[in-house]
Amino acid sequence: MSRSLEHDFFRHEYGRLVAMLCRRVGVRHLQAVEDAVQTALLAAVDDWPRAELPESPSAWLFRVASNRLVGELQRRQRHGELDREHWVALDGTVSPSTVHLRGDVEDDLLRMIFVCCSDALPTESQRVLALKVVCGFSVREIAERLFMTEANVYKRLGRAQARLRGEALQLDGVETEQFAARLPAVQAVAYLLFSEGYLSSHAEMPFRRELCDEAKRITGLLATHPIGATPETYALLALMHLHSARASARRSASGGLVLLEEQNRSRWNAAEIGLGLSWLARSACGDRFSRYHAEAGIAAEHCLAPSFAETRWDRIVECYELLERAAPSALHTLNRAVAVAEHLGPLEGLAVLDRLEIPPWLERSYIWHAVLAYLQGRCGRVELARQHADAALARAPSASIADALERRLAPFMTRQGDGC
Amino acid sequence: MQKYLCLQRGVPSREPGEARPSPAEMQAMYAKFNEWRQKFQANLVDLGGRLGDGRLELHSSASDGPFVEVKDLVGGYMVVSASSLAEAIAIARECPGLLSPNSGVEVIEIRSPG
Repeated sequence: MSRSLEHDFFRHEYGRLVAMLCRRVGVRHLQAVEDAVQTALLAAVDDWPRAELPESPSAWLFRVASNRLVGELQRRQRHGELDREHWVALDGTVSPSTVHLRGDVEDDLLRMIFVCCSDALPTESQRVLALKVVCGFSVREIAERLFMTEANVYKRLGRAQARLRGEALQLDGVETEQFAARLPAVQAVAYLLFSEGYLSSHAEMPFRRELCDEAKRITGLLATHPIGATPETYALLALMHLHSARASARRSASGGLVLLEEQNRSRWNAAEIGLGLSWLARSACGDRFSRYHAEAGIAAEHCLAPSFAETRWDRIVECYELLERAAPSALHTLNRAVAVAEHLGPLEGLAVLDRLEIPPWLERSYIWHAVLAYLQGRCGRVELARQHADAALARAPSASIADALERRLAPFMTRQGDGC
Repeated sequence: MQKYLCLQRGVPSREPGEARPSPAEMQAMYAKFNEWRQKFQANLVDLGGRLGDGRLELHSSASDGPFVEVKDLVGGYMVVSASSLAEAIAIARECPGLLSPNSGVEVIEIRSPG
């Protein structure tokens, strides 16, 4: 009988192997490293089912991949395809006996994440590269998950690799200080991956959970490593846990979206909420209050409220004010207006929006119209509410969001066949 | 039961540039291969393996060639037992990874003595 492998074993092993080998031969050889890792995984698929799993599958893969890589780099050196300055001391550097201490591997993986977040790369490319080399997704899988075309993913990866080749010599010597400077970029990439998975308008896709898990994995690595362990990282990890603890309650049995006030709070994952709260407690130090702190604070208030009605809306309003200061966005103001309406009433909520300069992207979104429909409706302005409710529904980006809107805004909507 | 040699062979693909499987797809292939192995446990005489380096040795009087070496044609082998060629082919066809746009399997009866 063969032992079983963890669900994401191959994908995560890809990331670990690429990181370990790049650390040893240099990021400039990323392409050759990825090829060698791909070959080793294919060999595993071919060999392992024919016999028992090797004692340590990870060590087996490392041995096969490094042999392959060394062979290829030696061939290139023999054929003069490598500049002398790019020569690698191949003997010993990639010897299997020198690796596979757990801490080492995590160190390598973290280093690779920082490499992906080079400031020479646009954010979008950082995300694509991280999904490829750290999370082990293929071009097609990345395109699906980030709603990009495969051609666009290819282009971004190609440019990113070219950039890394140019930057390679310094990168190999990247030290702690340079890492620290890149930490905000790494956090931002993890945050974006999480949001893409959690808040995406394509929320019914099954792989959204994978993106959330990858984001948590990266942030968890940061939080437990001296380079990444800062209050911002703790707050980021807290907010991820406090959101994903409630993820399953956001889905109905049929896959629809369940609104916060409709959620069965006993389905929230108490253990993960506890985890989130403990990271939030650890984040409460230092002198910087980041957007992650504010967002984790909001999520924590929701997690701690016994019911929608008993939510401490005053605290949530405060957190939104802090969030607007840390990361100004009209969307945050809109959210604050909703919280103010719950706390003080719909008129006060609308008053927040009166002072807001509405950017065009927000005015075109379903969210803007849904909030206005709800607040105007609660003020008894039936006609205004109806207009906004119809506009919100027309702009709903997915069927499950449209369903949720219909439930929430039903009293304000134009009904089919309502004519006189 | 008769034994059959199954040879995995590369074949020219009609769609060149076939994308390589992603790690997640490889994990799925691994799982499928294990299921297949369970299902046909009784028929699998030798799960074989991939073929590695080798060399064709010739008598000095052999002509100069060139000779195609089997290792250049065959990626891997295994031996199954079945009551007929048709059954052996059915088993091989179900094996994940053997049939793809750029690989096929050749199933050959192994004649037993007598």
